[in-house]
Amino acid sequence: MAPSASTRKRSRAAVEAEKPATSDDEFEIPEINDDDSSEDEDPSTSDEQSEDDEELSSEDEEGDEDDEDIHSDEVPSEDERLPKANGHVNGDASDEQSSAEGLDDDVKIVTGADGNPRYIYPEIDPVYDSDDTDAEETNTIGNIPLEYYENYPHIGYDINGKRIMRPAAGKALDTLLDSIELPKGWTGLLDKNSGAALNLTAEELEIVKKLQRSEITDDGYDPYPDMVEYFTNTVEQMPLSSAPEPKRRFIPSKHEQKRVMKIVKGIREGRIIPRKLQSEEADRPEFYDAWADDAPPKPGHIMNIPAPKLPPPTYDESYIPPPEYLPDEKERKAWEEQDPEDREKNYLPRTHKALRLVPGYKESINERFQRSLDLYLAPRVRRNKLNIDPASLLPTLPPPEELKPFPSTCAAVYRGHEGRVRSVAADPTGLWVATGGDDGTVRVWEIFTGRQVWKLKASSDEAVDSVTWRPTAEGRILAAACGNEILLVVPPIFDPEEESKSKELLSAGFGYAANKQQQQGKKEAPGTWSKPDSDLEEDGVVVTITVRKTVKYIAWHRRGDYFVTVSPDDVRRAVCIHRVSTHSSQTPIKQKSVTKGIPQRVQFHPSKPLLFVATKRYIRIYDLARGELDKTLKPGARWISSIDIHPQGDNLIVGSYDKRLLWHDLDLSTRPYRTLRYHDKGIRAVAFHHGNFPLFCSSSDDGTVQVFHGRVYGDLMENASIVPVKALKGHKVTSHLGVLDVDWHPKQPWLFSAGADGTARFWN
Amino acid sequence: MGKIKKKGVAGNASNFITRTQAVRKLQISLPDFRRLCIFKGIYPREPRNKKKANKGSTASTTFYYTKDIQWLLHEPLVQQFREHKIFSKKLTRALGRGDFSEAKRLEALHKPRIKLDHIIRERYPSFIDAIRDLDDALCTIFLFANLPANRDIPASTIATCARLANEFQQWVIRKRALRRSFLSIKGIYYEAEIKGQSVLWLVPYKFAQHVPAEVDFRIMLTFLEWYTTLMGFVLFKLYTLEGLVYPPKFDKALDEQGAGLRAILLEAKKIGQLEAGAAAATPTRDITRPLETLEEKIKQVEEEEKVRRLTGQAEEEDAAAAEANTDDVEQVNEGLDKFTPIVAKDGTTGDILPQPTDDDTNSKTMNMFADFTVFLSRETPREALEFILRSFGCKRIGWDAVLGEGAFTTDDSNPAITHQIVDRPPLAPPAPAADGGDTEMAGGAAAARGKVLGRIYVQPQYIWDCVNAGRVLRPDAYAQGAELPPHLSPWDKSKPGQYDPTAPVEDNGDSEEEEDVEEEEDVSMVTNGENGLDDNDEDSEEEDSEEEEGSGEEDSDEDEEDEDEEDEWAGFDDEEARGIAVPSDDEASDDDDLRHQRELEAEAAGRTVSTSTAAKKSSAKRKAEKAQKAREEELDRQKAMMTKKKRKLYERMEFGNKKRQEEKERLESKRRKIEREKRKSKN
Repeated sequence: MAPSASTRKRSRAAVEAEKPATSDDEFEIPEINDDDSSEDEDPSTSDEQSEDDEELSSEDEEGDEDDEDIHSDEVPSEDERLPKANGHVNGDASDEQSSAEGLDDDVKIVTGADGNPRYIYPEIDPVYDSDDTDAEETNTIGNIPLEYYENYPHIGYDINGKRIMRPAAGKALDTLLDSIELPKGWTGLLDKNSGAALNLTAEELEIVKKLQRSEITDDGYDPYPDMVEYFTNTVEQMPLSSAPEPKRRFIPSKHEQKRVMKIVKGIREGRIIPRKLQSEEADRPEFYDAWADDAPPKPGHIMNIPAPKLPPPTYDESYIPPPEYLPDEKERKAWEEQDPEDREKNYLPRTHKALRLVPGYKESINERFQRSLDLYLAPRVRRNKLNIDPASLLPTLPPPEELKPFPSTCAAVYRGHEGRVRSVAADPTGLWVATGGDDGTVRVWEIFTGRQVWKLKASSDEAVDSVTWRPTAEGRILAAACGNEILLVVPPIFDPEEESKSKELLSAGFGYAANKQQQQGKKEAPGTWSKPDSDLEEDGVVVTITVRKTVKYIAWHRRGDYFVTVSPDDVRRAVCIHRVSTHSSQTPIKQKSVTKGIPQRVQFHPSKPLLFVATKRYIRIYDLARGELDKTLKPGARWISSIDIHPQGDNLIVGSYDKRLLWHDLDLSTRPYRTLRYHDKGIRAVAFHHGNFPLFCSSSDDGTVQVFHGRVYGDLMENASIVPVKALKGHKVTSHLGVLDVDWHPKQPWLFSAGADGTARFWN
Repeated sequence: MGKIKKKGVAGNASNFITRTQAVRKLQISLPDFRRLCIFKGIYPREPRNKKKANKGSTASTTFYYTKDIQWLLHEPLVQQFREHKIFSKKLTRALGRGDFSEAKRLEALHKPRIKLDHIIRERYPSFIDAIRDLDDALCTIFLFANLPANRDIPASTIATCARLANEFQQWVIRKRALRRSFLSIKGIYYEAEIKGQSVLWLVPYKFAQHVPAEVDFRIMLTFLEWYTTLMGFVLFKLYTLEGLVYPPKFDKALDEQGAGLRAILLEAKKIGQLEAGAAAATPTRDITRPLETLEEKIKQVEEEEKVRRLTGQAEEEDAAAAEANTDDVEQVNEGLDKFTPIVAKDGTTGDILPQPTDDDTNSKTMNMFADFTVFLSRETPREALEFILRSFGCKRIGWDAVLGEGAFTTDDSNPAITHQIVDRPPLAPPAPAADGGDTEMAGGAAAARGKVLGRIYVQPQYIWDCVNAGRVLRPDAYAQGAELPPHLSPWDKSKPGQYDPTAPVEDNGDSEEEEDVEEEEDVSMVTNGENGLDDNDEDSEEEDSEEEEGSGEEDSDEDEEDEDEEDEWAGFDDEEARGIAVPSDDEASDDDDLRHQRELEAEAAGRTVSTSTAAKKSSAKRKAEKAQKAREEELDRQKAMMTKKKRKLYERMEFGNKKRQEEKERLESKRRKIEREKRKSKN
């Protein structure tokens, strides 16, 4: 078999080598070939079969004479000549074969082109049984498009290199017939390999149709089979199996095992001590020498306040205290009734006959607890404890001996007035004292005896609000205010010479006044000076001055020529200055309204031309020389009742109805230097001693007269020292009124007071 | 023109911080803040101007010093508190899950322990500082040592307190540091002198304590935690200074038998034991680890101990002394040497410096009971007596077996006993007061009353009075069943102007009064007879004071202020006398009686009763009244001239003085009344 195969190979190679040589010839006669091949396929195949046999034999005969072979192939007419040639060639070869080897009869020995014998073996008939017939004639052109062969009669080559002739194209009639009677499975396509009409079987057509519908081509495939439910959507209430998870299913964690092994290793090596329980010893704090370096005690931080220690127990805490510490029934009861927080001590002292009888103390824990609370909750404050004798706080006052003399006892009581005594005034000579009262009388008393020496009934219905003596040495003139009249009186108690002198002094002004009136004419004076009634004149009244409203107070100028009156009801002409020598009156301060306050008291400055006007709240000082307001003092009182000016003129005392006595230092401030508040009721009158004694006093509705020692120093730097010396009690309080007026004796430290109880008193 | 100051950035506004702010700043809970404050000794402050400190609000709040709180921020305890919080969360979770083994494990292994030792040094830079603050610590520890364990107080805490208390007492005994003591209704006060500081503490009587419901034991236990730590360190230092091992040996078995102080055995430090920790470790191990295998040996040792306890005289003491022999030698060396000035050739010496004498008297006082052999009857408080007796040198103290182990003898018929302390009434009616000395008692009578001859029976107060007097007193007044004299607090030193129960009170300044005084002296001789010298001294002092008063009155005119005071005194006395004479009819009749008696006495003495005395008295009275009035007026005058501020201050001071004065008068009048009644009953 092997030599046959090799020969076949060789023969094919030879055939292929021949191809290009023969191609030129073939192109020359296409049409003839076309005709031949188009006749029928089957005859061609049979032809080829026979030709194959012939070819094989021819090849065997002449290897070199390929040209001839090819020519014989091309021209079927020449086929007959070929066997001749082949036979001739074969004859030559067989000669050589038989001579050389004598192997086979069929082997022809041919002399090759090189002159060497060439063995030509017979064509091997493979004797394919039926298979050979089955073997399809296949075109070998491969991928070359078929249209390349359009112009040729063949459509390719078979495996043996023989042309596969184009099947004969039918005639028009044939095609017509074909169109009439389509063969079964006709598609109208041509088979690529065979060039014949490609007919498809029914199965094949079915498949093609399925593919077109994009269906699965397999027969009997069901794309939608019925679903088999392996798992249901219904939740099972009971377990399918109640058996616990078996241990065999447990897969130990490798990581955990690694960690465990690590710990085991640590334990083996002693690095890890398992269950190192903290025993009692370890639990207790370890003590050591915390103060090993023996540091000296440092002074504490200034902000750090160490907790105060509890005081040590006292005598009464003893189990057998001295018997005086034991509480009696009353004390016990008082202690028990007290709120526990108010108790001074949280235990009651008690005694026991013997130590064994001492019971347990109930409050032990509570006391310790309270102490603990104090330690961390109570704010600590450093408190300065004054460890001084309280007596050292008391000011050192001049001893009472030094302050003497001052009035201390009631030496005489002047009774006679019916109703209140409104005003009291001591005569500049110091022998007489004049009083004016609600009964409308002015009375003059002898100081020591208390004898009434003279009496003037000034009015039957009006009270005498103020009486004052002219403060000069000559001219004994008493001014009394009764209603809206001011009476200037010369009481007939002096020696006649003096009396006449005084009367002259008063009546001298009448002529002057007449002149003036003539000169001025119309303008109405604030006060009208006139001669009194004859009966009054008999009593000693020399002049009466009538003003519009009730006069409450009269104050003389030190020289005795002027005096000033206040009538608070007359808002516009409240303050009125009268001149004795000219019998003239004027109102220097003209107020439009009450806004600046209603004047209560007025006073001349003892040496300067100043006028002090006390309204309810303020004291205004007017400069009379320049005619303007000099200063306003603000004592701070609600309602000033009275003022008085120190004889040296730099200090002023103010009494007010709101119980205060205020000392003003005019050089210091407009505010009071001292506020004295010792009266229980409002102050009615205040007065400085105008003689040589540094005394002043205040009288009040509480029925007392308080006498103070008020020394004013010549040195400006030194403040006045005020010392209360005496509270004179004697006047009775009648219908809430006490002592209404006070006046000092001009030379002696004696005091006169006028009370609402209808008496005037003399204190020395 | 200065810069305009911004409000609320300086001064009070920034120096003080309210508690809420502080807690928020520290980011801890309020209870933790409380603990922190207790441990660190932080306390609230009172700002000068509350309104400024509280940003304009005047609501009452607690203020802390801002810098204190800032300082707390750096405290390691704060972190420990946080750790504890974490731990407690874990624990509650474990418990909530019912995982008790886990909880146990957490508790055992992971519970953060708070250590306070760094604060000890911080709060008390020097040892003296710590001792100054020991009062409260001791009071609390002694109180807790006597409390029963309950839900709030664990038994271990109480055991710790008891141990610390006993250790401290042991130290006091050894060092003879106890100075004074006082039996009060609240308990027994002790005063010890430690390093020159006096420390006062109160030990409640051994009774079941009433535990009030309103007491928050969390606070108390926080304090206790601090105090026990402080006490431990202080004791360590004290023991170390004494050359003793701390903690000392603690015999559990003895303690369980009620040996009290005897259960703690002092041990001198060996030369090698420099390190405190080592010293602390060794003895405990020795004690606690029993030699189980050598049972016989143990028995033998026990027997020995028993024998020793029975026969030996305060064996532990001696043992300790023997161990500390070297110490004693050192102590001798440590004592001051006598410096005698060397006389120069010309016969002159240098200046002689005053030298503190090695006070013989002091050591005598400290060992005043050294010669005593005391037996405590079973009704006496053993712990207190044992402590106080041993602190003053008594070495042989026996007691009834019911009072616990550790007695020198439990046999009350032991002939060695010199003193027996009894606190029960005598069986037979007591003998008349005249034969107070039991030693001279007729044998038969004594035996009949269950007494043993040759020993002195005294009540417990005797010991305390001896200690406070500083010497051994005569035991007459303290005999069994005798009415005890008042027990006086040794600390209550009445200031001038306050009532002094030890000084006699004068009655009205007449002849009658003199008589009274005489009589009173008699009384005092009877009652305080044993006071002897002291009493005399006091008397003389009083006389002096009286003289002074007299002289004061004489030269009253010279010094106004002095005069004021002195006069006041006199005046008050007078008034008081009047007050006594006036108020009740009974007393008036008393007076009449007295006058009548005086007349009788005068007659008996052959004197003529000066009838003019009454007149004189009345004139004097009037004069005094007048003076009083004048004084009051003067005072009013002065007050009137004071400024308001000063007057207020003065009035406050006067108020206090007046209160004190009234208290004094009240007590004096009461005492006079009592004495009068006593005299009456005697007559």
